[in-house]
Amino acid sequence: MSKPRHLRSGASKTGSSKTSSSKAGSTNAEPGDEDVVGDRTEWTGSSLRTQVWVLTTRSLRAAFGDPRLVFFGLLQPVVLLLLFSQVFSGVGSLPGVAQYQGYINYLMPATLVNIAMITAMGAGAGLVAETYSGVIGRFRSLPIATGSVLLARTFADTARLAVQLVAIVVAAVLFLDFAPYGGPLGLAAAVLLTLFVGWGLSWLFVAIATWQRSIELMQAVSFIATYPLMFSSSAYMPLQSMPAWVRAVATVNPLTYAIDAARALALGRVPGWSLPMAVGLAAVAALGGGAIAARNFRRSA
Amino acid sequence: MPENRTNALGPLSSSRTGATGLPRIEVVDLGKSYGPVTALTGVTLSVAAGSVLAVLGHNGAGKTTLVDILATRTRPSTGSATVCGFDVTRDGHQVRRRIALTGQFASIDETLTARGNLVLVARLMGAPAKAARARADELIELFGLVEAADRVSMTFSGGMRRRLDLAACLVGSPKVLFLDEPTTGLDPVSRTGLWTTVRLLAREGTTVVLTTQYLEEADRLADDLVVLAAGAVVASGTPTELKAKVGARTAAVTFPDAWSARWALEEFTRLGLKPVLDPDAYVVTAAIPAAGQIVPLVRALDQYGVTVVDLTVTEPTLDEVYLALHRAAWDTATWEAP
Ligand SMILES: Nc1ncnc2c1ncn2[C@@H]1O[C@H](COP(=O)(O)OP(=O)(O)OP(=O)(O)O)[C@@H](O)[C@H]1O
Ligand SMILES: [Mg+2]
Repeated sequence: MSKPRHLRSGASKTGSSKTSSSKAGSTNAEPGDEDVVGDRTEWTGSSLRTQVWVLTTRSLRAAFGDPRLVFFGLLQPVVLLLLFSQVFSGVGSLPGVAQYQGYINYLMPATLVNIAMITAMGAGAGLVAETYSGVIGRFRSLPIATGSVLLARTFADTARLAVQLVAIVVAAVLFLDFAPYGGPLGLAAAVLLTLFVGWGLSWLFVAIATWQRSIELMQAVSFIATYPLMFSSSAYMPLQSMPAWVRAVATVNPLTYAIDAARALALGRVPGWSLPMAVGLAAVAALGGGAIAARNFRRSA
Repeated sequence: MPENRTNALGPLSSSRTGATGLPRIEVVDLGKSYGPVTALTGVTLSVAAGSVLAVLGHNGAGKTTLVDILATRTRPSTGSATVCGFDVTRDGHQVRRRIALTGQFASIDETLTARGNLVLVARLMGAPAKAARARADELIELFGLVEAADRVSMTFSGGMRRRLDLAACLVGSPKVLFLDEPTTGLDPVSRTGLWTTVRLLAREGTTVVLTTQYLEEADRLADDLVVLAAGAVVASGTPTELKAKVGARTAAVTFPDAWSARWALEEFTRLGLKPVLDPDAYVVTAAIPAAGQIVPLVRALDQYGVTVVDLTVTEPTLDEVYLALHRAAWDTATWEAP
């Protein structure tokens, strides 16, 4: 800090990059960018597209920065799926499941939605953590749109979800005898639906994160979402073999629609109402969560 | 741009550096409460373009709250504030385009390297990728972070975080710079370096608002001071004005023997001063409330032909001003409270 130069004047180094950068055609250069390369006084804001892109790649780099964490992150759902499908293999002969020829086929699409839920929680927990680490504080004093920080958060986590879904589908087909009768197209459709559902869910958790900024609350909500909500859906058991009151809960549980739709698509069955319901609910979650999150984000604690 | 409204606060519009006299920041009757806690109340001030304002105050006085409101991170409960002519609540985005903030607690992305952090901020501010990298390199050198440039900032020491945070502030060319306790935790070299940087920025026309616990820092850097206590402004003015207002010069006269020292004690009391005798060293000290009052004292000594070993006059320090103000603030807090 002893040499206070380049504080303000359009420094020569920055000036010299003027010519080269227009040639290099940097990825996000807007028209007219070349005119201001050497003049930092014009750096008073970027386009929404640049903001979302820069912030999304930042989060992704953080998420995939440590290969060991990535490996164990991908392994965990595979191990869980293996355990569940083996321990509860008896469920495979229950009425309502038997038609799927193996519990793994019944379980696997639900696991996709479960992973989407867990990743969506990660979006909320990540936002809370970043609020405490101070990064969010920095963003809040920069001339960037409220929505871009939040959009980037959900995009990055949806990209992370895509990698996880592909990994588990490949692992399940190769090692766990998963037989997706819907073929590659049906499987792709199930994965895409899950991605959209995951994106919608991530907005709900982002909304909670901006509302309370409390790690304890995030943990409590996450517990409810993982256990009561997942178990009171059609994820692990067919509705017809549940006690009446659980069946009642499962019928109104939004996760049931997402799971039924993903299952139908992956296994080449007719999804019926479950597909439009799942897509609609995810869209509502995204819009509602987005509106709440955007309103809370600027408001101070 | 805002019209020149200097009537409200005459003393604050003066400046010894590149100030143009136009107010860059105008705060009128600002208040903020967190439930039952009143963090700020009735704060009115104005900061001239290119001047440095230091905000002083005890822990919890409201310094951070004030800075956060001006930097649009916190919404005020009452009153209004404009920065560069834009209202902080209604035109937050316009304000953010013109300011930079280093908060009290470092706000860096711990998952990124020092370089990564600076490039990120530059890109978000609209710099093309290449210019962003060039600017990051400049700042890394400027803030002595060359060795640590490509280390993940999670491993940084407190002072290194602080420097990186400050560097992130200077990525663009902010018109107004907010520094919340910028030198807390910096080593002496970095601290002097920061002072130089702040002075240079002010000379080039940047308006700087900084909070600090170090009176020396305020005295060296600030054109104007604002002292907050329990959320209210208890004093404002230039460092010189405040010293003159609150602190007193102290005269210390050393005598060769006990007799002349005791004589001086009586004589000074007769002059209306409140002298104190140190009987072992034969030193009489007395506060001189007004600048001219040293003259009758010297005249009396001369008139009676008393031998004087030494006579020193000490200027008041801002510390004394600060302590005096806080004593006063606590004394009056009971009847000043709304
Ligand atoms: N988010 C908050 N919720 C509740 N009270 C708050 C919040 N932020 C600040 N306060 C309260 O407002 C008052 C002023 O706090 P502030 O952080 O502005 O003080 P400060 O002058 O910066 O103190 P310090 O020198 O310790 O940094 C304190 O009483 C503090 O407890
Ligand atoms: Mg503070």
